[in-house]
Amino acid sequence: MAQGVNTAMGASPAPDLDAQLMLRVRDGDEESFRVLLEKHRNPVVHFLYRMVQDEAVSEELSQEVFLRVYRSRGTYEPTAKFTTWLFLIATHLALNSLRDGRNERGQVRLDDDGDGDGPAREVADRKPSVEQQMVVQARLWEVREAIAMLPEKQRAAVLMHKYEEMEYSQIANVLACSESAVKSLLFRAYETLRARLAHMVTAGAR
Amino acid sequence: MNCPLRKEETAHILLDYSAGRLDSARGAVLERHMENCADCAAFRMEQAAVWNALDVWQPAPVSLDFNRRLWQRIDAAEAAPWYTRLVESLRFAQWKPVLPLTAAILLIAAGFLFDHPGGRAVVPTAPAATSVSVSEADQVEQTLDDIQLLHQFNAAAAPGNAKAISE
Repeated sequence: MAQGVNTAMGASPAPDLDAQLMLRVRDGDEESFRVLLEKHRNPVVHFLYRMVQDEAVSEELSQEVFLRVYRSRGTYEPTAKFTTWLFLIATHLALNSLRDGRNERGQVRLDDDGDGDGPAREVADRKPSVEQQMVVQARLWEVREAIAMLPEKQRAAVLMHKYEEMEYSQIANVLACSESAVKSLLFRAYETLRARLAHMVTAGAR
Repeated sequence: MNCPLRKEETAHILLDYSAGRLDSARGAVLERHMENCADCAAFRMEQAAVWNALDVWQPAPVSLDFNRRLWQRIDAAEAAPWYTRLVESLRFAQWKPVLPLTAAILLIAAGFLFDHPGGRAVVPTAPAATSVSVSEADQVEQTLDDIQLLHQFNAAAAPGNAKAISE
């Protein structure tokens, strides 16, 4: 599937550096795959984590992304930016996972502080105060909830736009829609976020 | 929200500005515009605050053994027989959305067959038609017998023969 989608995307004028590395992987250079993995592992895992909001699921899905990339190496053609292809696979897997409800269990929530992982969480001494920590966690929880409540496509668009700094054309390729549709998605998503986080916005502006 | 820049079609300019992705020339023009446009100035402030709020959310670091586990999976996948690879590829495949479509097609097909039973009705009606023709033949044969009997009766009842019959 991954390769099929890859070849279906619009052609770019010249292959980027990542695409050149991927072409070397196609020719049997495993080291180039390691370079790609090191470069894109964190962005992919973080994107998927923000999409499904579950650490274990996001890592499992990320592994699947890179596994698919590796197994598609034989038929790889640099028809689009490598990152577009990579996030296309990641987005498809995330949307499938969300629709399957696979991330419903085992979700690490910020409000269940104190369950398990005691030592890892016992770092309050380094924080300025318990109250400030609570405020930060409450803000973080609200941001996560606000993102989680966005429709799937809007969520993916915001995450790619905000955290991965992807161009409109790339996001459009990933979401299989036009650039104007992406701009519309982002407009509506940020509008919703501004409304949902209005109290934080007001507090921050004071 | 009267400024046309805040409309859905053009708001990406303001979003790009807030994200620091607008080129300096257009950024300068927009800044001059925002000095006189309260709508756009408010949008910039709200969007900047949302942007900062989103910056708060930093995911946990990736597991240290991520690469090792990945290479294990790659090795296992490369060594796996073809049917295992097929199952694995189906595990994340996009075939599930096809299920409702298939169900809908089957439903429509069933409805069509239910609504148009002509094709199937030809076969069962044939024996019925045959049985009707058999009974009709019996009826015709009996009618012919009756007519012949009637002829005989008429002939016997003719004036010339009446006396002979009475004798």
